[in-house]
Amino acid sequence: MADKEFEPKIIGFFCNWCTYAGADLAGVSRLQYPPNIRVIRVMCSGTVSPHHVLRALQKGADGVLIGGCHIGDCHYLKGNYMTIKRIRFLQDILKFTGFNPERLHLEWISAAEGPKFAQVVRDFTEKIKKLGPTPIKRAA
Amino acid sequence: MDRLKEKVRELLKTGKAAGFVGYKMTEGGHVLPHFFTKDRLEEVDEAAVCPGDARYPLDKLLQAVAAKYPEETFAILVRGCDERGLNELFKWGQLEPDKVVLVGIACPQELADYCECPGPYDKVPGPFASVIDYGEKCAPVKKSERVIRVDALAEDERFKEWHAHFDRCVKCYGCRDVCPMCFCKECSLEHPEFITTATVPPSNPEFHLARATHMAGRCIDCGLCEETCPADIPLRVLYKKGNQMVKELFGYETGSPPDTKSPFTLLGEEVTLETKPL
Repeated sequence: MADKEFEPKIIGFFCNWCTYAGADLAGVSRLQYPPNIRVIRVMCSGTVSPHHVLRALQKGADGVLIGGCHIGDCHYLKGNYMTIKRIRFLQDILKFTGFNPERLHLEWISAAEGPKFAQVVRDFTEKIKKLGPTPIKRAA
Repeated sequence: MDRLKEKVRELLKTGKAAGFVGYKMTEGGHVLPHFFTKDRLEEVDEAAVCPGDARYPLDKLLQAVAAKYPEETFAILVRGCDERGLNELFKWGQLEPDKVVLVGIACPQELADYCECPGPYDKVPGPFASVIDYGEKCAPVKKSERVIRVDALAEDERFKEWHAHFDRCVKCYGCRDVCPMCFCKECSLEHPEFITTATVPPSNPEFHLARATHMAGRCIDCGLCEETCPADIPLRVLYKKGNQMVKELFGYETGSPPDTKSPFTLLGEEVTLETKPL
């Protein structure tokens, strides 16, 4: 039986106004990116709670990608400051408990950056493929 | 001890405090939390301070008392960590600073070493309160050896170690129930939308990382969670690291007096952190 290549499951939390629109632009422009990403649209990246990220990881996500507006350009003015505070803390605490913090990534992608979106997804999927499946046992 | 008892008697007699939340020596030889009032002033003779053997979350008891009598002022026995707790509770709106009178003590060196009690940095209390009515100041522990040891391990060793610790959890909620900083009416650790409920051990590591994230900017390092835990999970190491990270990332010291607030409560605070490269 041939060994199937590991196909990671990546959860993407994308803000409605910037990153999701950027993803839409990538789609319209027919830019190719791997299908491993499962997208969840949120109104602002600042609404992504550490609980959401931890749930995704506990449920078996191999990687979590969060996309928001650039600093200073948040549709709700300052939501993305909260995002970066939370995600930086979460990355460090995951690292301390032995979980590779590179599996959680935050990127600012604007609505006009279709090619950047595709590139980020491509690169992140590649990275997670190299890191392998998540060490966390999937909860029911 | 007499100095402390005198101070308490003064506070109660003059009515500066409607009651004193402290410890009392009971007949069985145990020291338990006690609420001293003016009508039973003779009980102050049995007031005790046993920082090593009897540590209870007095600031948690004070919250319960203050909630019932919001107009009254109360005195409370505080160690350094209790005072850090009070500072944070003032900031989180759970207690009023002008309704709390401190009766402070300094912890003995053995306890400070066991707790690896940090500080004092700037105005954050270390192993002694800002007001000392009992005990001698001792030297705080600048760095936590327990955290340093875990930091030095390789990633998969760390994962194995923490996974094994979390797997012993019996979901007694002792850590949350004893924590003076846990005052939420609805706890997300019991909320089926936030974590996987109805499993023992609780979802590993979601349950504990969720708690650790909530403790960021909140944990005052009293150590009661770890002492309560029936499974001997080294919770303190995790929350100590959280506090260190909050200090490094945001320059915020948990337990500092109420002129700064936790970065996680400041919505719209413009930080200069940058995203990490892919």
